[in-house]
Amino acid sequence: MTKVLLIEDDGETAEEISAELTDRGFEVDWSSDGIDGLDKARSLQPDAMIVDRLLPGMDGLTIIDTLRRDQVRTPVLVLSALGAVDDRVRGLRVGGDDYLTKPFAVVELVARIEALLRRPAETRETVLRVGQLEVDLIERTARRGERKIDLLPREFRLLEYMMRRSDQLLTRAMLLEEVWNYKFVPTTNLVDVHMGRVRHKVDWPGETAMIHNVRGAGFILRALP
Amino acid sequence: MLEVKFIRSNTFRWAFGVACMFAIFVTILFAFIYFNIDDYLVARSDRVIMTQIGFFSALPLERRVSAIEDHLAQDPRSVQFAGLFDVHGHRIAGNLARLPDRFRIDAPVQSARVAPLNRNAPGNPKVRAAARRLENGDTLMIGRNVDETREISHAVGEALALGLLPAFCLCLLAGAWLSLRAQKRVEEVNQRVQRIIAGNLRERLPHRNVDEPFSRLAVIVNGMLDEMESMINALSGVGNDIAHDLRTPLTRARLTLERGRSHAGTLEQLQAVADKTIAGIDQSLAIVTALLRLADIENSRRSAAFGDVALHDLLREVYDIYEPIAEDKQIRLSVGIGVKLKVRGDRDLLFEAIVNLVDNAVKFTPEGGKVDIELAQSEKGAIVRVTDTGPGIPRQETEAVLRRFYRSDKMRNTPGVGLGLNLVVAIVKLHGFRLAIHPGPGGRVEIICSRHKREELKSAQLICAAES
Repeated sequence: MTKVLLIEDDGETAEEISAELTDRGFEVDWSSDGIDGLDKARSLQPDAMIVDRLLPGMDGLTIIDTLRRDQVRTPVLVLSALGAVDDRVRGLRVGGDDYLTKPFAVVELVARIEALLRRPAETRETVLRVGQLEVDLIERTARRGERKIDLLPREFRLLEYMMRRSDQLLTRAMLLEEVWNYKFVPTTNLVDVHMGRVRHKVDWPGETAMIHNVRGAGFILRALP
Repeated sequence: MLEVKFIRSNTFRWAFGVACMFAIFVTILFAFIYFNIDDYLVARSDRVIMTQIGFFSALPLERRVSAIEDHLAQDPRSVQFAGLFDVHGHRIAGNLARLPDRFRIDAPVQSARVAPLNRNAPGNPKVRAAARRLENGDTLMIGRNVDETREISHAVGEALALGLLPAFCLCLLAGAWLSLRAQKRVEEVNQRVQRIIAGNLRERLPHRNVDEPFSRLAVIVNGMLDEMESMINALSGVGNDIAHDLRTPLTRARLTLERGRSHAGTLEQLQAVADKTIAGIDQSLAIVTALLRLADIENSRRSAAFGDVALHDLLREVYDIYEPIAEDKQIRLSVGIGVKLKVRGDRDLLFEAIVNLVDNAVKFTPEGGKVDIELAQSEKGAIVRVTDTGPGIPRQETEAVLRRFYRSDKMRNTPGVGLGLNLVVAIVKLHGFRLAIHPGPGGRVEIICSRHKREELKSAQLICAAES
């Protein structure tokens, strides 16, 4: 079972998060302060951690710094009520960890934890394959079976990202950050419009749908229906 | 209490210090003059004494005695002393009873106490005198009373008392007056400031229309207070707007929940209620997020992260993103890049600003309309222009749209937070660029990327261009 360590000082929030993660088959350990959390991170060796930024005892980012110095590479999702994304947080993102601003939707949290746990391996593959779908990263071409798919550059990036993370729920916020490099959430339903176009090109009428819309959450690219 | 404060007051202490310094310098000056005059007088009488001794010793013995007597007779002020003594020290002529003890003969002029013969002058006056041994063994002594210097010192002392004391007092008085006056003004200002602190933002500091530091300071502070008052008023207006815009979705959410609780019969109905509530709460949260982001940009001094930003690439990127969205709305989006231009700035923020302008244009343009993104070069600098065939911003609203949460009444039902243009303004301000909003019909907003000096910034930030 996948072990997740949750370090969060607000009991009620922690309870909700644990309940949701337990429902989804995670084993959750909870710690309510920084120092205890650091101890647990060392002793329990979780597969992933969710760390609140402001904690009694020791702040979240310091916990992560300490662990990283001890060569502990556990992926971390930092939660924060601070909206401003500063340099330390940017560092987190570069280091493969993630950051989520409070308040957040629970689906968003779960999607990000799963994304952290299933980080795609660094491959030298230049061709990505998901089911019938095939993308050539050098030629910048895509095909479904024998059918060639014409994609604009941005659409290509979107499809490439989705193929690297097939069978994972990708939220709109994740797509905005990763595909569009947006640091903010625009009001328009930008992701949906672009996704609609890619979907139109990938899933033709009569073909089995590969891109699925998860209502109120995001999108999934699946090899099998 | 007041007296203590008054003595402790800086002004008074300064005045006192200056008065003391003045007194010391004047005293030193007078002393210098006194000693110089004294020296001069002594030197002069010494010269006279030496001349007289030379004169008397050159005379033959028989004439010498009468000459001495004549010399003493012609001295009405009795400052002259002379004495001729034989080898045994007995007086032969003159008005001195004897040679003073330990008086050096054949030496330069020296100070000595002498014993006058007879005379009603009491005591032994101190004189300058010299003595010479004559060839027949007699001793000639000539002296001169230098008590004149005492008179001079007396005069000097009097002058000091007459001049210095009043000057010193005047100094102190001036100091005290200035100190009292300053104290009074400070007290006056303090009272007004206390009233301002207590919440009366209308209060201003008193000032007279004269070129005086206190008045100038008061004018400066009043200017600051004017600015702050209008800012605070604007802020409280924003507070009301925030409250209104946050409350509206929250009220909806609350009503939905309340109704749902009593009316929802099935799980589906309850889920619908929950979805609607979440949407309402999300709307409120979006407002909070937008406000925080706005504050973040307005307070940031991010110019350290500035780099060269290729505007043509930026515009093309915005176009790529919005083209499908515009197409969905049956709007023709086009991008016109006449020149390739680079400006110094924060790429992400400029991108956000342009996205906001384009987003607004697409949102407010009706179906079948047109939105153009253009990059042009003008003598003022690079211009990013977003035009659309929508209703545009009416002339009377060109300023109002920059207010937080402002949404034209006609647009009340369009989704959005109503902070987009504020964000654009904040970003443009941060870069030292300008935003020009042209009145409708037809939307036309420009970001003019010209750097200007700091002091120009305030007035030049927004040009709500009247021409068009």
